[in-house]
Amino acid sequence: MKIQGTGITKAFNRKTVLDINNFTVEDGDFWGIIGPNGSGKSTLLRLISKLTEPSSGEITYEPRDKEQSIKRSMTLVFQKPYLLRTSVYNNVAYPLQIRQIHPTEIRRKVEEMLTSFQIESLANQKAWTLSGGEAQKVALARALVFNPELIMLDEPTANIDPASIMLLEDRLRSHYQKSKPTVLMVTHNLQQTKRLCNKVAFMYEGKIHDYGSIEHVFGPDGTSLVKSFIQQGII
Amino acid sequence: MQNIFEGIKDALILLTTLDPEFYAIVRLSLFVSLTATVLASIIAIPSGIVIGIKDFPGKKIIIRVIYTLMSMPPVVIGLIIFLLLLRSGPFGHYRLNFTPTAMIIAQFCLVTPIITGVVVNGTKERGQDIRELARTFGASRTQTLWLLIRELRINIMSAIVTGYGRAISEVGAVMVVGGNIRGHTRVMTTTIAMLRNMGEYSLAIATGIVLLLISFFINSLLYYWQQER
Ligand SMILES: Nc1ncnc2c1ncn2[C@@H]1O[C@H](COP(=O)(O)OP(=O)(O)O)[C@@H](O)[C@H]1O
Ligand SMILES: [Mg+2]
Repeated sequence: MKIQGTGITKAFNRKTVLDINNFTVEDGDFWGIIGPNGSGKSTLLRLISKLTEPSSGEITYEPRDKEQSIKRSMTLVFQKPYLLRTSVYNNVAYPLQIRQIHPTEIRRKVEEMLTSFQIESLANQKAWTLSGGEAQKVALARALVFNPELIMLDEPTANIDPASIMLLEDRLRSHYQKSKPTVLMVTHNLQQTKRLCNKVAFMYEGKIHDYGSIEHVFGPDGTSLVKSFIQQGII
Repeated sequence: MQNIFEGIKDALILLTTLDPEFYAIVRLSLFVSLTATVLASIIAIPSGIVIGIKDFPGKKIIIRVIYTLMSMPPVVIGLIIFLLLLRSGPFGHYRLNFTPTAMIIAQFCLVTPIITGVVVNGTKERGQDIRELARTFGASRTQTLWLLIRELRINIMSAIVTGYGRAISEVGAVMVVGGNIRGHTRVMTTTIAMLRNMGEYSLAIATGIVLLLISFFINSLLYYWQQER
């Protein structure tokens, strides 16, 4: 899915927190979005995922144009995912159930996902009894199970154990290589960006301060602001 | 004290002798309160969810009004409904005063704010998260509402139980609009009030015990249902 935004602003109580002249995400890009807290990363994802309306400007999604078909072909995983008060299995099945997919097909896909995330032993466990890492695996499995064209992730590996981080990254990478979705991932982890993404955008005070290839943004050509953030270890 | 023990004995006798008049009273009580609660739920659950989730001007005032209505004395609600249903009143031509229908209407008005209020409270906490989750998967409006009901089911169940408990145990509203007419609008609570006036204390206690047992049974059923899902 190709996404383009023009003249995007977002204000809360008359305070502008996001102001982006234009941006383009090409189909099949894997973007890392980094930047300090409060720079508008989450707000940008909420706008693109249509959870929030922009105060001004427009976002287009090619090749889709119908509102409902856009919403149906993308998803957003929150930093603290909300898991439904039911089993792990039912959580992963939910996106398929609302798409009226045949039950045997649902079963096959869900089981495949659970195995792939190594959580098949948790299938019948109640979601509210999971650890943070397990919960995030369920959330990612649930996001990938219906094969969305656009996947947005808001700090998916913040506050979870290193082993789970490695597994999530591995699953995300192999899903990306297999299905070639478009991915936008907010992260504070510079190394993670280098491991997964092919493009990176640095946000600062509601604007896209710099963007491009990893080599460009983080390399010697990068801006002094980015360099100082890296030096201070903020990202 | 003596009357209470006599009452327990009388309760057992009442229940075991299958007195048809007494069973008719119990049936009418259940019918009126359950119908009122079910009808109220149909309106109150979706409204409670919507009020709990959406941000709109006047939301705070609406919530305050609901909370106020939650503690409205049943007898006042009964009186208002009675006046509206009077022959000369705006809905007089339906001739509903002193019928079970009027009692259902009065209890419906009593219970709707209670169920709405409890659902609003439960929705405020998690409703937004649930709605956003549904949206991130492209759920339709109906699918989102279903998910909300499913996720908030425990809160919704307690709202229904609270509303039903209020309905079956109130006496003011059904007395004013129903009139405690024997064989027609007499329910358990109005029977108890009447028996007390007649000095039939142990029979009054006996009816009260039956009322309690029924409430206990229904609450247990709902509790069990909650646990299972
Ligand atoms: N619903 C909201 N109401 C008011 N202010 C908000 C809201 N959401 C975000 N903000 C503000 O917008 C700014 C950007 O927030 P956010 O997009 O969450 O930043 P980031 O994800 O980069 O940390 C912050 O100053 C935040 O306080
Ligand atoms: Mg954020």
